[in-house]
Amino acid sequence: MISDYNISSRQRNNSLFGRVDKVALFSYIAIVFLGLMFITSASYDADTENIFAFSHNYMKQVMWICISWVIATVVLLLDRRIFHMFSVPAYILGVILLLAVLLFGREVNGAKAWFEFGSIRIQPVEFVKIAVALMMARVMSDYSFNIKRLVDLVKVAAVILLPFSIIVLQNDTGSGLVLGAFIFVFFREGLSKYIYFPVIFTAFLFIVSLIFNPVVIFTVLIVIFTLYSLLHHGAFQGHVVFISSIFLVALLIALITPLSGYAALMIACSIAVVLLLFFVVKTHTMTLLWPIVMFIYAMIFVPTCDLLFSKLEPHQQNRIHTFVGLVDDPRGVGYNVKQSEIAIGSGGLFGKGWLEGTQNRYDFVPEKHTDFIFSVVGEEWGFMGALLVVSLYITLILRLMRMGERIKEPFGRVYCYSVAAMLLLHVCVNIGMTIGLMPVMGIPLPLMSYGGSSLVAFTLLIMIAIRLDASTSESDGRMGI
Amino acid sequence: MNRNAQLYYNILRIIVVGVGIMLLSRLMWMQFNPKHYRSMAKANSVEEVVVYPMRGEVLDRNGEYIVKSRVCYDVIVVHRELPKEGFDTARLLSVLDLSHAKLVKQLKKAARSPRASTLIVGYLPQDSKLRLDEMNIPGITTRFRTAREYPRKVGGNLLGYVSEVNDEQVKRLDNYIAGDYIGTNGLESAYEDELRGEKGYSYYNIDVHRAIIGPYDGGNSDIQPQRGLQLTSTIDVRLQEFAEELMEGKIGSVVAIEPSTGEILVMVSSPSYNPDLMVGRQRNNNYASMLHDQRNPQFNRSVKAKYPPGSTFKLVQGLIAMQEGVLSPRTKHPCHMGYKYGSRTMKCHAHDSPLDLRDAVAHSCNAYFCYVYKDLITNPKYGSVKEGVRVWNEYVYSFGFGRKLGTDLYGEGAGYVPTPEFYDKAYNGRWNWGTVLSCSIGQGEMGCTPLQMANLAAIIANRGYYYTPHLIKHIEGRDSIDRRFYERHYTMVDSIHFVPIVEGMWRSVNVSGTSRRAYLKDWDVCGKTGTAENGLKDVNGRRSPDHSTFLSFAPKDNPKIAISVYIEHGGFGSSIAVPIASLIEEMYLTDTIMRPEVIRQVKEFKPNYSSYDRKQQIYDAKRKKK
Repeated sequence: MISDYNISSRQRNNSLFGRVDKVALFSYIAIVFLGLMFITSASYDADTENIFAFSHNYMKQVMWICISWVIATVVLLLDRRIFHMFSVPAYILGVILLLAVLLFGREVNGAKAWFEFGSIRIQPVEFVKIAVALMMARVMSDYSFNIKRLVDLVKVAAVILLPFSIIVLQNDTGSGLVLGAFIFVFFREGLSKYIYFPVIFTAFLFIVSLIFNPVVIFTVLIVIFTLYSLLHHGAFQGHVVFISSIFLVALLIALITPLSGYAALMIACSIAVVLLLFFVVKTHTMTLLWPIVMFIYAMIFVPTCDLLFSKLEPHQQNRIHTFVGLVDDPRGVGYNVKQSEIAIGSGGLFGKGWLEGTQNRYDFVPEKHTDFIFSVVGEEWGFMGALLVVSLYITLILRLMRMGERIKEPFGRVYCYSVAAMLLLHVCVNIGMTIGLMPVMGIPLPLMSYGGSSLVAFTLLIMIAIRLDASTSESDGRMGI
Repeated sequence: MNRNAQLYYNILRIIVVGVGIMLLSRLMWMQFNPKHYRSMAKANSVEEVVVYPMRGEVLDRNGEYIVKSRVCYDVIVVHRELPKEGFDTARLLSVLDLSHAKLVKQLKKAARSPRASTLIVGYLPQDSKLRLDEMNIPGITTRFRTAREYPRKVGGNLLGYVSEVNDEQVKRLDNYIAGDYIGTNGLESAYEDELRGEKGYSYYNIDVHRAIIGPYDGGNSDIQPQRGLQLTSTIDVRLQEFAEELMEGKIGSVVAIEPSTGEILVMVSSPSYNPDLMVGRQRNNNYASMLHDQRNPQFNRSVKAKYPPGSTFKLVQGLIAMQEGVLSPRTKHPCHMGYKYGSRTMKCHAHDSPLDLRDAVAHSCNAYFCYVYKDLITNPKYGSVKEGVRVWNEYVYSFGFGRKLGTDLYGEGAGYVPTPEFYDKAYNGRWNWGTVLSCSIGQGEMGCTPLQMANLAAIIANRGYYYTPHLIKHIEGRDSIDRRFYERHYTMVDSIHFVPIVEGMWRSVNVSGTSRRAYLKDWDVCGKTGTAENGLKDVNGRRSPDHSTFLSFAPKDNPKIAISVYIEHGGFGSSIAVPIASLIEEMYLTDTIMRPEVIRQVKEFKPNYSSYDRKQQIYDAKRKKK
């Protein structure tokens, strides 16, 4: 019916290599090699005696790439049913690992999230991503599963919240938030808009409540909600009367009582909301109910948010403020981002050339081989390099989604979407961070940042997806789970 | 696959592409106009290092070096790069000529910022630098600098010195940053702009720890330093050295001028110091010990002191009186061991009486010039003594007294000439010619710099004009020095009136008078002694000996040298100032000294400086208490 589906039914070579998705595989390999290249640039030392010594980060990365590919080969040779079978044990193992790291792990940069074996550090949270993706696919592919049912919603929520709470306890909230990417999957699986819309609305309120004065926020909200109502019901005059009476009442209260404008507006809104609820009950105009409920929610959420924010430690406040661009303090919290922006910006259209970036070579960009690897790309290869990297990621993500749609069985589809969603969140947050669009959360750029755990975990995630997709043609036209 | 699934899939694809577009548009916004980011990246990673130029050198009038620039090096350590297994410390210490404790202290300082370049020690001579390079210790490097060197080791307070700029100077002056050198005092300060040269700059790539990685842009952006200009001084350094030798142990000043040009041949302020003391690692110690010396070797008495001119000033009085018509060369005045006015007497010494102007000059008669001065300021044509003094002031100013001459030397003093307003204030308006009579013989409130007195000698030698005395006659690459040094300044006294005065000065040396010891066969030396009372007390509360001064020029016609010698507490003018001036003249005019016994006498002459010694004792005691 749609072109995508025609491709999947195309006759394909029956060997394993013939059946894997070449575009996904190629994108994966290209990203890994680019990563290795720029890790080399970020950790290359011209004075070194032996450029192939294993003390260098890039040689360690070569080792991790080899390990990843051995694992990738094994994964591609496994039977697809194994992933279904092992999803529950993998999930349990993952949770146990997280608990173990909480007890016996090593603390790095304030987060107790690493196991240390000699010189090798492993971050279990990276592997938990696989376990959660498999488990989610397993739960959501049950015959009886219906995401619109409360019981099933509780199930999927539990699958996420159990590891999430342990990760938060490790003080590694940034990694935990990655699990939020699953909302992407739920959307695909038909999650009720009454659930995802409030979630997005909450996030929106959270950010604007940090940036804007609450009076401004509520003024805008009142106008938007009134416009919504006007579009649904017409009656222009009535709406004008309604909206002006709210502000007049607020003004009156502010003038005759010692209350602040904010408080006066809240009182006026409360009166309006109560009156509106009466109106809704009396006339059964249910279309108005949801906006009213959401407005009440905003009236509770925004003050609470302000209150909670004032209770935070100053450095946490700073971090959030820097994120929303309220603090410009190049030597303080924003220093890393500032240097990264200078690196990328100074790269210009074509960059300064590989190994030639001054921000990179002279260590102005912090964490340049791990979290800030993208600023090395941006500086040394300029916009062309950045365009290449972003395009490769977007291609891979789109390809994973297409593979998900191509697989007839829900297990594979949910799994592929999970991988695509996590990849998207990582890329968006990491690259966004290096160019000052996102807060610094300590999330690596998948497949490019230096680090064995992340590389192996994402290789596994993607290879399982490719393997599941490759199975499609095996079962093509014969069976579906 | 239902319809909704297809919709969700499309929405999600749009979101994914949307994220990509969001990231790329921000990247475009940043990278399509990279100028701003590039300048910030450059500010991060490029360090400007100043390359110091060679400071200009100074030659004397005969082409001999007075001030040379010698290459030396600062020793710089980057602590992190030092070899971990250690190095040959004993050899390093011997090369750097440094104590072990000092090295340890400096290395500890360097360890505090291990990646930065830290100065360990300065003034490393070239040969030691080569030896240091041979040792090839990683982390130890050198930086080119120049230091001053003085082949004759003369003229400390005349030349001034070079020191690091202070914070106040950095704020006040353009072109100077902390660590730069600047000329302080003397010639170094007066000709700072010429001597300094232009700083060069090298650019280096540095990392985030400010450690230097390598040259920026392959060194193509570097700016080469321009060395300072060479100056040719008017000083005759051999004569300067000889004069300083004669002034050893005496406090005072010698200034000699070539009358026909105003070029200063010799300028000694004693005590002086070896200018090498103000260079090198011991500089601060030497400077401090000079600062505590109550004889104040840093003080250039030649241009800053305010001495009573004594009898040498009688020449000026005679000239003014002749110009004003109250004195003629044939006028005779009696002198009976002094000049009585009211109940007071201005004492004089034994000589024939009465004398005419020539003999009064030759014998330095006090009484004669009391008559002259009285006649001058009580001249009825002015209406009052006050007006008389005012007219007299104008004349005296035209001789260069009471104001700065405008020489090229740093910190020139003006001296002081008393004005009617001053007397009004000092005597509550109740004063007459008798009150101010001490001025007639250069005592009282009169104050002159030795340079002004030498200039007077030049004026008389020139019969009525002078060129502003100066110390530099040629600047490398320029056709001329400042215009003001080519301009003749005439006094208000006509040339004709100088004849009897010169005659008197000649007689004083060659016939009979107070300056007989200045006689040089065939050279027609002219001179005028001075013995200035100073009102100072010595340790025992007795009157300190008078200042000894002598003003002279030679030969009488076409004079080649005019000189003023001033010796604090030297006694009579003839006792010490005359022989010193005479020896310098002999040396300058004949290139040899035929009277070694006079040199011996001068060197053996030790004035009584107990007042200075006492001052020093009190000062030292006070310091010790603190």
